[in-house]
Amino acid sequence: MKPAPAVPILLVLAVGWGGLSCADIAAPSRSQVYEWRMITSSGPGTTDTLNFHWPRSRLPVRIWAEDRLDLPAHVQNGIQQWRSAFLYGEFDAVRVPDSNAADVIVTSQVALKAGFRGTRLAAGAAPECEGGTDFVLPPGSRQIQLPIRVFVSPRFDPALPGVAECLALTTTHELGHAIGIFAHSPFDTDIMYSDPTVSALSARDRATAERAYHLDPNLTASAR
Amino acid sequence: MFIPVVLSVMRAILVLVLMLPAAKVSTAHSQLDYYARLGLTLATQLLTDDVIEEIETRQDPAPTLALGASLPIARTYSAGIEATLTSSGYHSSEPDEKTDLGTLRTGAVVLGLVGPVWRRINWRAGAGLIQYWPAEDQGIFLRGGSTRFLAGAGVDYRPPLMSRWDLMVSLRYDFHRFTTEELEARSFTGSQGVQRLSLTLGLARAQR
Repeated sequence: MKPAPAVPILLVLAVGWGGLSCADIAAPSRSQVYEWRMITSSGPGTTDTLNFHWPRSRLPVRIWAEDRLDLPAHVQNGIQQWRSAFLYGEFDAVRVPDSNAADVIVTSQVALKAGFRGTRLAAGAAPECEGGTDFVLPPGSRQIQLPIRVFVSPRFDPALPGVAECLALTTTHELGHAIGIFAHSPFDTDIMYSDPTVSALSARDRATAERAYHLDPNLTASAR
Repeated sequence: MFIPVVLSVMRAILVLVLMLPAAKVSTAHSQLDYYARLGLTLATQLLTDDVIEEIETRQDPAPTLALGASLPIARTYSAGIEATLTSSGYHSSEPDEKTDLGTLRTGAVVLGLVGPVWRRINWRAGAGLIQYWPAEDQGIFLRGGSTRFLAGAGVDYRPPLMSRWDLMVSLRYDFHRFTTEELEARSFTGSQGVQRLSLTLGLARAQR
């Protein structure tokens, strides 16, 4: 018996209908996040919650790294890690050869001055090395003055075991501050923990970064 | 339920195609129908996500190349294979922002049956696989493209154009469920039903 012409077409439509009737893809809740915003005192009994992310119009963010202690490679790794945290092109960065053209400058110095016009925004303090990220936000202003400065430096001889790994993860941690994660995670399994020991972003780091980049910022970055 | 149905359809088509070599080669050559077409494919969204606001990811309308061949397996029916390539951009959309995510190519191979509808109009239905090839492994394709089962159907209109060639106008609909390794790694559950519709125009070997 020959198949009626409509049978195979009806079969395909039935398969399509059956497939359509299945539930569509369900997004994860992303409820596992930590507070990433900077909550500052703005006067007696009042606070201000500062929230920043790089707008898409400023991407890719330009990052200059001092050619010392393998910082360019560590920065490249950090860029890749933070870029991979996002699904929809929310963040991108490139290394630039001239610090004059950079939005973010990464050096191996010990942090000299504090950011936010008086307050060091963040400092990673793994055992073998340390880091800090300085922002300049003039009083009363909502505009961060570029460049953002990241400092990463070893506590011991850089050739000692563990120091290079520490510099790598601290660089990624500090770049996390530079992309807008101003606060530390309370969980030691996150790269944004105050004394980071993990080398890669956790699901919570990613979810936090995603949320930060989908919430309207109340800070902007100056022209460079 | 979906995958077993598709597998059974594919198995039936495969049996038909494997039986083809039993026919005489010369007969097969004279009866071989082949064609090439160009056109456009439209697709529904690949993904809907929710990060504070809803985010939708979708392919842009895609230029399409289709190549295919078929051989008779009964008096009025043929078994055929059709490969389709598309290439276009894809983007994500939020209420106040649209982001270009790069280039996305797809390749699909469908094994199916072809039969007459009326005069120069044929129906076609089958099942196969679709492969997504992003130009860059990033975002939802961070861990690479994905391969999915596909079911499709369509109609062809073939008026004669030259002595050895027919014009071929084809409308195709196909369906698959989309996800990627990266989405699964990020705890997305299930898959997104994607429907595609294509209209293509080309030349087919005349069967006169």
